[in-house]
Amino acid sequence: MNQAILIEGLHYRVGKTFAISELDLHVPVGSIYGFLGPNGSGKTTTIRLILGLLRPLGGRITVLGDPMPEHYARVLGRVGYVPEQPHLDGTLTVGELIAFQSAFYPRWDRARAAELLTKFELDAEQLFGRLSKGQKAKVMILLALAQCGELLVLDEPTDGLDPVVRRDILGALLTYVSERGATIFISSHLVHELERVCDWVAVMDNGRLITESPMEKLKHGTKRLVVSGAPRDVTNPPFRMLAREAGNGAGESWVVGDWEPDMASYIEGLGASVRDVIDLDLEDGFVELLRSFRRVPQ
Amino acid sequence: MTAQFRAVLYTQWKWSRIIVVLGTVGAFAIPLLSLQGAARADRGALQAQDLLRSVQSWGTLYPLLAATLGLLVAIAAWAADHRGRHIHALTLPLPRWRYVLLRFGAGFALLAAPIAAVLIGALLATVTATLPPGLQAYPLALALRFALAVFVAYAVFFAVSAGTARTAGIILAVIAALILVQVVASMANLDLNLLETLQAALVFGPGPLVVFTGRWMLVDV
Repeated sequence: MNQAILIEGLHYRVGKTFAISELDLHVPVGSIYGFLGPNGSGKTTTIRLILGLLRPLGGRITVLGDPMPEHYARVLGRVGYVPEQPHLDGTLTVGELIAFQSAFYPRWDRARAAELLTKFELDAEQLFGRLSKGQKAKVMILLALAQCGELLVLDEPTDGLDPVVRRDILGALLTYVSERGATIFISSHLVHELERVCDWVAVMDNGRLITESPMEKLKHGTKRLVVSGAPRDVTNPPFRMLAREAGNGAGESWVVGDWEPDMASYIEGLGASVRDVIDLDLEDGFVELLRSFRRVPQ
Repeated sequence: MTAQFRAVLYTQWKWSRIIVVLGTVGAFAIPLLSLQGAARADRGALQAQDLLRSVQSWGTLYPLLAATLGLLVAIAAWAADHRGRHIHALTLPLPRWRYVLLRFGAGFALLAAPIAAVLIGALLATVTATLPPGLQAYPLALALRFALAVFVAYAVFFAVSAGTARTAGIILAVIAALILVQVVASMANLDLNLLETLQAALVFGPGPLVVFTGRWMLVDV
């Protein structure tokens, strides 16, 4: 099993206006896989399909080697999940939630739960409903980690949290991965956050996958070029043309993906010259990817 | 499986303990109160007919209590899952039918307390009372009937409250359609009595709700 999550040709429809179509994802075992996309792009729906909470209309989902949703009970015993919104009952205390959860997971790690309770400075006697947003997120992370799953599926786990809590949570996740070699599938629209921790990234918009690649390739392959003397038509370039804008006299500004330094010769072959190659950070690359995707009629 | 049942039972106890405790107190008190007119050391006995009348009037409270307990414990069983949009339950690593069975079993286990309270209260009431000649006490039969009524009420309301708002809407729509058809039939002078037929099918033998009807007598001839 090379892929912790394998999705092929996934199709799902939500109402009449939104659909996930022809989605393919390949999440390598042991990776920290960032699932990026703006709000409403279909990230949460995809996660619910992965976990067997929804039944796809077409395509194939395999999680940890088992088809979903057919084998959901077996798969969910090996998967820790943190949803976007707190889903636990507010009338139970933190201790009661831990006790409840431990009864359902045969590999429950009591010592890890106790350690995280202390580390996150949580009070076992406090009602979940009375906790702050950050404390609720910590409880959910604690439960997901103490389950000792081989795969963690995290849906915007740090959204709206202060930097200290975010750092605590990301720190706990990284420690877990380094200790257990687990796979993390983490969705977010906070690009900078994923940039620091992920080694793979997929970008989704409007129910469709825009790109899926190793983080380094996406980060280092997305560039802004300043090109002078460029012809009107550029056919079959070896890179991906994400954006092309007229410059202010110094040449055109191109945003390209999958860029390699030797590709400058292709541009020179067109009778143009590359005057500058500017690195884009992941956020700029992400924005340009989205822009270019939205320009193409679907 | 035992640990899972214990975990589910604990949460349900936490959510419905006030209902269960009050129901248990009520279930214990009704048989005692229904025989308060029977002979005691300090006063004369009621005549058989008066005692039967008293027992019968108190007896209406048993099905009422059974239905109320069934309804409230069933609602409490699902309330937390509804609040969390069932995400937590659906991501637990067990078949969904088994989760439903755990919730159902836990609720019924809690309802054993008021059922036992009826039995104990009925036994205590009949042991301490002196019954007029010709009358007999049926504490065990009464407790069994109460248990059956609680079970039926809990099962029906558990099934209804397990559903989504859409399910509830469908049920309400069916009832509304029945009423509408009945009203139209009455206006058109058609010989159609849907509601009466439905009621007869539900509450007269062998209807599923027949256990709630008839006389609930702790003491009878």
